[in-house]
Amino acid sequence: MTAIVLAAAVGALFALGTFLLLQRDLIRVVWGLAIISQAANVYLLAMGGIAPAVADSVPVLAGHGGDVPQTADPVVQALVLTAIVIGFGMTAFALVLSYRVYEEHGTLDVTELGDRR
Amino acid sequence: MTATPIGTDAQLVIAPMLVILATAAGTLLLGRYPRARAAVSLTGGVAYAISVAAIDWYIVLAPDAPGIATYQVGGWPAPFGITLVADGLSAFMLTMVAILGVASLVFSTRHLPGGEGRSYYFPLFHFLALGVTGAFLTGDLFNLFVWFEVMLMASYVFVAYSGGPQHTRAAFWYVTLNLVGSAVFLLGVGGIYATTGTLNMADLARRLAEPAAYGLEPTPVVGLFGLLLSVFALKAGLVPFQFWIPTAYRAAPPQVTALLAGATKKVGIYAIIRLSFTVFAGAEVGVDLALPGVTIAGDSPLPFVGAALFVMATASILVGGIGAVGRDSLEGVFAYSSIGQVGFIAMPVAIATTVTTPGLRKLAIVAALIYALNHTLAKGLLFLSVGTVRAATGTSQFADLGGLAKRSPPLAIAVFIASLALVGIPPLSGFFGKFLVFDAAARARAGPVLVVLLIGSLLTIAYATRAWNRSFWGAQTDAVETATIDPVQVAVLAVLAATIVAVGVGFEPVYEFAEIAADAAVDTDGYVDTVAPQDVSEVVDASTNGGDH
Repeated sequence: MTAIVLAAAVGALFALGTFLLLQRDLIRVVWGLAIISQAANVYLLAMGGIAPAVADSVPVLAGHGGDVPQTADPVVQALVLTAIVIGFGMTAFALVLSYRVYEEHGTLDVTELGDRR
Repeated sequence: MTATPIGTDAQLVIAPMLVILATAAGTLLLGRYPRARAAVSLTGGVAYAISVAAIDWYIVLAPDAPGIATYQVGGWPAPFGITLVADGLSAFMLTMVAILGVASLVFSTRHLPGGEGRSYYFPLFHFLALGVTGAFLTGDLFNLFVWFEVMLMASYVFVAYSGGPQHTRAAFWYVTLNLVGSAVFLLGVGGIYATTGTLNMADLARRLAEPAAYGLEPTPVVGLFGLLLSVFALKAGLVPFQFWIPTAYRAAPPQVTALLAGATKKVGIYAIIRLSFTVFAGAEVGVDLALPGVTIAGDSPLPFVGAALFVMATASILVGGIGAVGRDSLEGVFAYSSIGQVGFIAMPVAIATTVTTPGLRKLAIVAALIYALNHTLAKGLLFLSVGTVRAATGTSQFADLGGLAKRSPPLAIAVFIASLALVGIPPLSGFFGKFLVFDAAARARAGPVLVVLLIGSLLTIAYATRAWNRSFWGAQTDAVETATIDPVQVAVLAVLAATIVAVGVGFEPVYEFAEIAADAAVDTDGYVDTVAPQDVSEVVDASTNGGDH
């Protein structure tokens, strides 16, 4: 069930991101970029899955003898954390850049920008 | 868990990254003192070149060199920590970047384009070099993604650097495209992690070689590698991912474009070679694919990669060549030319992925590496010369240029040598590059490939001649007559031109280095043994039995 929900969420996010990316308004394009990079993050999290409740899957707890609970995969979380930080920086940069484009061209319309040589 | 002993070789591996990182930080701190900043920047660049030379000698080329060395960051053993690996292939790539990087740095101290952004030029330059260096040295797939981002972040700023309307617009396109590329990269990385349970390249190669022993179902890896391949092709600028190149290369300062064409493009090529041959070549993935007209089958993902690369390389050679013939400015010609030239580099890689004889595969990789070296030197020189011409005359449009050969014969000679190297005239480095590519294609009995290569070479002659005629011959225009050409910049160009000649004349050692690099690229076992990724279950057993930490 979780898998289906996650798959649907990732699919919907990518669809929305792609839709926004193809808009004429630059701000929407930036939104699209942000959503696509978040979609990739959700997908990364979904790739980790849940480790079974055995000592082998949680080496940290292996020597302590107590109950080993089900755990989420820590590796993908570390990856996603890195990816979020990078994505944040990139989104900020893209926003600044779109403001600069507006300052210089007086428009945020992609089609009008494309006409200028 | 014992920490890996760290010897001198191991510390050498991380040396170039530390040097360039320290230089970047230093130049950032010295933002208010232009002279000190330039001095630190140059010193750092030279120290970087020395550290790369040390890797070349002590790890790869010396008679008693180990050939490959690793540095486990933080002392965490593979596959738990991040592994840095320096082998022949990495060393070869680093050497190319070091030569061009120092040249471009000296060049930059003489003339910086743009006003307000000047104080950030050198830090960004070093961060760009840091990203490239990290990408060449890392042995971890996700870490490769991170270094790609470091490199891209700096290059985004450089494309927007000059601050004019067309620059910000070019930068926005460039950022958009590469952010989508990054998301696709993450998809590939995540999928590979879900399929194989590891991201360490050595561990990945080991697990894919015997998937049954690790309980893996490796078939999705083929498609996931396809995703990664598209990202690497985007970085390398192969058709159909080439459309960002002309605008971005026109917008960035020429001395940075030299690095973008000479170094960051090669990162894409390097990633394709490293993953194809070191990681995926031994993968036990038997898949058959019957498309209308073509049947692709094999017991590793390589034939699929090869088919895609053949198409991309062919299209790149043709699109780049034909596009370059019709441009009306120096950097326009060189930007399209570099699309075509990357096609020439990708073609032998494609040949190497489809042949099965080890000797021929090695020859094809050597051809790709030599061609890449030639492209880095020659195209680097040409883009730097655009910088000189622009600084002197204020333009690089053919309409405003003419008679440069008379105005500055040394500049003309340097550009002439680089153009001849692109065309492939002996005894320059370009001749051997082209010769080896043709040789590999002929030995693989790939007739159509030979035809494409031939057309590409003819187009190269056409656009190189045209660029030369339009800007260096003919009557001097007003812009050229009043130009003052910087002697130091011309000296840098002359040194690069001399390097091109030297590589061609003293080709033997260069060829041997490339051969060592190609050996390293296909030596999966050596790579896995040196990185020595531990088995998760073994570690768990050990800590369970020890039990007292």
